Amino acid sequence: MMETIESLLHNYYYFIAVVLFVIGFHTMLTHSNLIKKVIAMNIMDTSVFLLFVTIGYVQGGRPPIMDAVTPPAGVDYINPLPSALILTGIIVAISVTAYALSLIVKIYKFYGTIDADEIAEIRGREE
Amino acid sequence: MPAIEHYPIIMVAGLLLLAFIMPLLYIWKRNWCEPVAIFAISVALVMSLCIIYEVVQGDAFEEGYWMGGWEHFGIEFKADYLSSYMLAVIHGVGLLILIYGIGDLKKELVEKVRGWYYTLYLLLMGAMSGMALTNDLFNLFVFMEIVAISACAIISIKEDRECLEASFKYLILSAMGTGCYLLSVAMIYMITGYMNLDMVGETMALGVGEYPLNILVAMSLMVVSFGVKSALFPLHVWLPDAHASAPSPSSAVLSGLVIKIYAVALVHILFRAFPMEILKEVPMTDIILWMSTLGIIFGSIFAMVQENFKKMLAYSSIAQIGYVFMGIGLFDPERPEETEALVGGLLHILNHAVMKSMLFMIAGIIIYSAGLKKIRDFDGIGNRLKWPMYIFIIGSASMVGIPITGGFMSKLHLAQGAIAVDMPFFVMVIIASSLLNAIYYMPIFINAFLSESKHENVTFKPVPGSMMIPVVILGGLVLLFGIYPAPVIGVLESAVESLIQ
Repeated sequence: MMETIESLLHNYYYFIAVVLFVIGFHTMLTHSNLIKKVIAMNIMDTSVFLLFVTIGYVQGGRPPIMDAVTPPAGVDYINPLPSALILTGIIVAISVTAYALSLIVKIYKFYGTIDADEIAEIRGREE
Repeated sequence: MPAIEHYPIIMVAGLLLLAFIMPLLYIWKRNWCEPVAIFAISVALVMSLCIIYEVVQGDAFEEGYWMGGWEHFGIEFKADYLSSYMLAVIHGVGLLILIYGIGDLKKELVEKVRGWYYTLYLLLMGAMSGMALTNDLFNLFVFMEIVAISACAIISIKEDRECLEASFKYLILSAMGTGCYLLSVAMIYMITGYMNLDMVGETMALGVGEYPLNILVAMSLMVVSFGVKSALFPLHVWLPDAHASAPSPSSAVLSGLVIKIYAVALVHILFRAFPMEILKEVPMTDIILWMSTLGIIFGSIFAMVQENFKKMLAYSSIAQIGYVFMGIGLFDPERPEETEALVGGLLHILNHAVMKSMLFMIAGIIIYSAGLKKIRDFDGIGNRLKWPMYIFIIGSASMVGIPITGGFMSKLHLAQGAIAVDMPFFVMVIIASSLLNAIYYMPIFINAFLSESKHENVTFKPVPGSMMIPVVILGGLVLLFGIYPAPVIGVLESAVESLIQ
């Protein structure tokens, strides 16, 4: 038990990322407001990005930028790969968000509401 | 064949590049769009047949293809048996759907957006080929997102209220799947420090004892993510609306190909990245097996009560994707030599792609010609739409699994595999599901041919040849794979063998 708590405290950034993920997940599935769903989607994506970037962090590490001078011995660099991957991930998340928002604009035009429950009601009445 | 080792990357990059030239072409030379798209996918089909030939006969693909020559650092494309098989399925069925779509889209889409449709279609094809070929977890994520966005967009391109809502639901759930996938990749990267599937597999085998929790969480997130995206039973809620409201060519490609490619990606990751010991410890294949069983039964039960023909086909897809997952689930890690069920499940990818896209095209033809969507209005249309309904008989026979059709072969292999691993209960499931399929497919064509026609005053528009020919070819393919499936099964047996190693 103590060990679990200790490792949680030690790796608190993983814990925070997972909490954010669950918040996003829950909001996305339970809220009926479409805009809130998109916001939750972004929270969820961001939490994964945070987790990913923290994996690459080395305690006391420097940004992995090489200058002409050879680095002094004993200096650690952080892992640049997760950060580079997450740049791609952010671009992907932006394009999905843009597409989702444009769909919401269209949905509002057709139904006059952005609430999923009301939309279901309108569709139920039509059938 | 010259430069065959470059074919995979040429195929993917070419399709993606051409997708973005398409809108320009539409402004500039409007009637070039369709021929160029058809040409591109035909070339891709020829290339994938060359790749499959080379994989079986030659040795050009034994080594992976490292992009930009960055060996062991860069992104790797690897054409193995399973991915080359999937490439041939994607481009073969995709080409026929595209040819069909030319006629159908003239009616379903407004003039202004028709050029964009080919953009999205080529994007989807290119990204699906990429998903089949890539050997890199993060690259797979990027292709998955391209597939997700373009798959949603070919639904919402037909701007009516149902399509928009269905497409939004699909987008949100698929974003959820992507989130789970990326979290799982983060877990895997945390343990192994690699993105390349082969290296991940090697390193994970070493780290099994040390980080069992991480591997467990990564594996379950992986199953959830691909389960959502390929509509495994309790995660299927987005599928019926999305597939039923889309334009008919989109329904055909979504139901026939898009949900399968995620299943293939899951097979790749589950068997190559995760060490066999962890599959033995955790009953993951059993969980997949039970989810797929529920999907097979409930998909069919939901399909029975549908009035809308396309919605019925969509629910039937949930049942049929269950067979593919049943093949994965019936794989017993304790007895890895019994692979017949897995072969059957993978064979069902081809058979279902062929027959379900054919049935959606027939649904499209009925809507195009007579504007009928409800099943109860189909009484007596057999006399007016003779050929589509004849082919529909073949399609539904294959859905039920009657011998000499493709559906029979995959069900036969699944049943034999179930017996081989001592689980005869699942043979009963397959038989029960065949009966359920018969209950909802048979009455449609019986009524279509034998009932009194109520359509004396409905005008049936003549169906253009470009819409009929793909349906007839697919009908022929259903029979061909039912009579002579040996070459496909040969490829799949080698595929499974190389996966299990």
